[in-house]
Amino acid sequence: MDKSFHVVLMYLLVHFGLIFFLFPNDIISSSDEGQWMPILIGLIVHFVFVYIYMRGLSFLPEKNIIHIYSEISNGLAVFILLPVFIYLLLTNIIGVRAYSEIVTIVFLSNTPSWAIIVLLLLISAYLASKGVEVIFRTGVILAFVIFPIILFVLIASFQNVDWRYLYPLFNDDFRFITNPSYLKSFSAFTGGFLFLGFVSPFLTYKRKKVLIAAAILIPFFLLAVYIPVLTFGHSTSSTFLFPYIMAVDSTYLNWLMFDRVTMFFILCLITFIIVQVSLLLWMASQIINHWIPHNPIYSVVTLVIIIFITSLMITNWETVEHLLWLNSFLRFYVIFTVTLSIYNIGRRSKRKGLS
Amino acid sequence: MRTLTLIILTSLCSLLLLSGCWDTKDLNHRSLPIAMGVALEDDNYEIHLQIPDTNQESVEIKIVSEKGQSISKAIDKLSANMESQIDLLHTKVIVIDKDLATKGFKDLISGFMRDREVSPKALVVVSDEKIETLFSKLKNTTDPQGTNLFDFFDKEAGWNPQISLTRVWQVYRSFYSYTKDVAIPIIKSGDSTTVEHLGSAVIKNDKMVESINTEETLLLNAFYNESTSGKVEVMDEATLMIVSNSMDHKSQFINQIPYLKSQLNLKVVLLETTDNPTTKEIKTSLETLLTERFNEMFTKIQESEADILGVGQYFRTKIPREQLKNWRSEYYPNLRMDLQIHVVIQNEGQLKLVDH
Repeated sequence: MDKSFHVVLMYLLVHFGLIFFLFPNDIISSSDEGQWMPILIGLIVHFVFVYIYMRGLSFLPEKNIIHIYSEISNGLAVFILLPVFIYLLLTNIIGVRAYSEIVTIVFLSNTPSWAIIVLLLLISAYLASKGVEVIFRTGVILAFVIFPIILFVLIASFQNVDWRYLYPLFNDDFRFITNPSYLKSFSAFTGGFLFLGFVSPFLTYKRKKVLIAAAILIPFFLLAVYIPVLTFGHSTSSTFLFPYIMAVDSTYLNWLMFDRVTMFFILCLITFIIVQVSLLLWMASQIINHWIPHNPIYSVVTLVIIIFITSLMITNWETVEHLLWLNSFLRFYVIFTVTLSIYNIGRRSKRKGLS
Repeated sequence: MRTLTLIILTSLCSLLLLSGCWDTKDLNHRSLPIAMGVALEDDNYEIHLQIPDTNQESVEIKIVSEKGQSISKAIDKLSANMESQIDLLHTKVIVIDKDLATKGFKDLISGFMRDREVSPKALVVVSDEKIETLFSKLKNTTDPQGTNLFDFFDKEAGWNPQISLTRVWQVYRSFYSYTKDVAIPIIKSGDSTTVEHLGSAVIKNDKMVESINTEETLLLNAFYNESTSGKVEVMDEATLMIVSNSMDHKSQFINQIPYLKSQLNLKVVLLETTDNPTTKEIKTSLETLLTERFNEMFTKIQESEADILGVGQYFRTKIPREQLKNWRSEYYPNLRMDLQIHVVIQNEGQLKLVDH
């Protein structure tokens, strides 16, 4: 059954969760001027990999990547899926820990982080144990409720923009490519589309529509970085941990009943994060399920307990940043191996089918 | 059996909701100061808070003060000594003592930005007299809501176009920005009114280096494209009211010297006249009056190397970022500014101007 609409909304939702928190800071600290260039390069990488990935998958309809690899050989499945599994688990641990810390920094300064982690994990675990359809349906409801709020906040955050901060527009210095911050920013460019290869037998989608969703995201990638830069200037916004949140915080809407729009904005994004975490949990449990068939609830519960304990062992923000940096290598490895191998396998099976 | 599990699950889930308000304190156990005054005394911050205390019948204004090595320490001490918890969430105005402003207040503002308890949208004001005197005057007001200091700056209430409005985040931005400084309003307690507005403090980086008067602040607001409508201008020939204003700028470099040509377009209406002046006389008179006033102000702020007009912003396309860092010291002192004022008399009221 064609569920393009669900997949598209989920695609947008997962990326929104990634774009507005850490991404602006990564880009702003990687380049002093002409931030559109690093963003453009990241977007090109995003489009190329999403396209290759989906093209490869389209040669092998009705199959998810776990089936595809294990049909070739069990060795290959282990060789590729084990890193993927570790990546999913690590992303989840860092994600849960990072977002709980963000919530603490931004508004719940008295709440212990374990309570926030429990809240994030419990809801995600419930969704993940119910299966992929439930996650996607939840995504659709949340998207309908929350997208208007996000759009509103986005428009409101233009309030203090000074367009002259756009200049200098060009940057002939390409050293940002090797900047650790820039490599970390790829969590937003490449961290959100792996799920497309997992959903195949349950949900099908049209490639073109996902590419349209990716195109819709382009202005959001740009605005998340440029709104703080245009409001504060580069030298000021580089002192912020969450530049976009600061920019939203400086908008003054006295006719609105809420004094601080930021709070609603962050809570909206946190719900997206919950959906994303549940999606990652579900993907990880699918991999386990392939090797050891069982009721998904057991693996989800085990994973959640592992994630909870490990994330509590991370005590400070510095470690979170360090782990994000380490994880970016694993992410590059996973994205490269998965997309390219799927494409090759797909091409080969198509040729075989023709002959 | 199923309903029972459902009930247990739901009640467990509702328990989770409580985690959002850890260590919660109800509204009646909180004190929400409207204004905060900060002074520096022997390396210790002295803070004063204006807290509206709501009873069932009326609002009483409480002024509390405390000293501490940092703002948070002082607040903490106050909270310990009070029957309720102090919550700076709704603080709208930060009043800084003039001595502290001249010494520099970077740490103070950065602290507000870091902690996030005080909204970055709170206004920053400099007090020309001792904070204590100003706040004791605030207490004696008859304002029913106790928000007088905030209302003074509120665009929907007591704000006037000759008052500059600068928020915490804007002040913070000026510490780091290469090309933008800020002006902060200066106030003191008035004789017949609660507050008297004296002009604006010119802030360079984090120190007050100069001050400009109210008339000059009006031009500053016009430069920022803030609406100056409603301001009354008096000259020998006539009294006028500004109804609208707009600004155009053109920047260029000639022989390494930055030039900025700006045009201020004003629309005015006639309120009173003396001795039957002609339209032309009124126009030229207003134009010279404002041009002179602007040039006087600009020389003053240019000497202090504080770019409160944000002139550097117009040169961002022309100066590479590396050199933009030295805008204030290298380019700004040499800047040639040319302000042209173009006045349109929109109408002359119910009476005709009789030509000679």
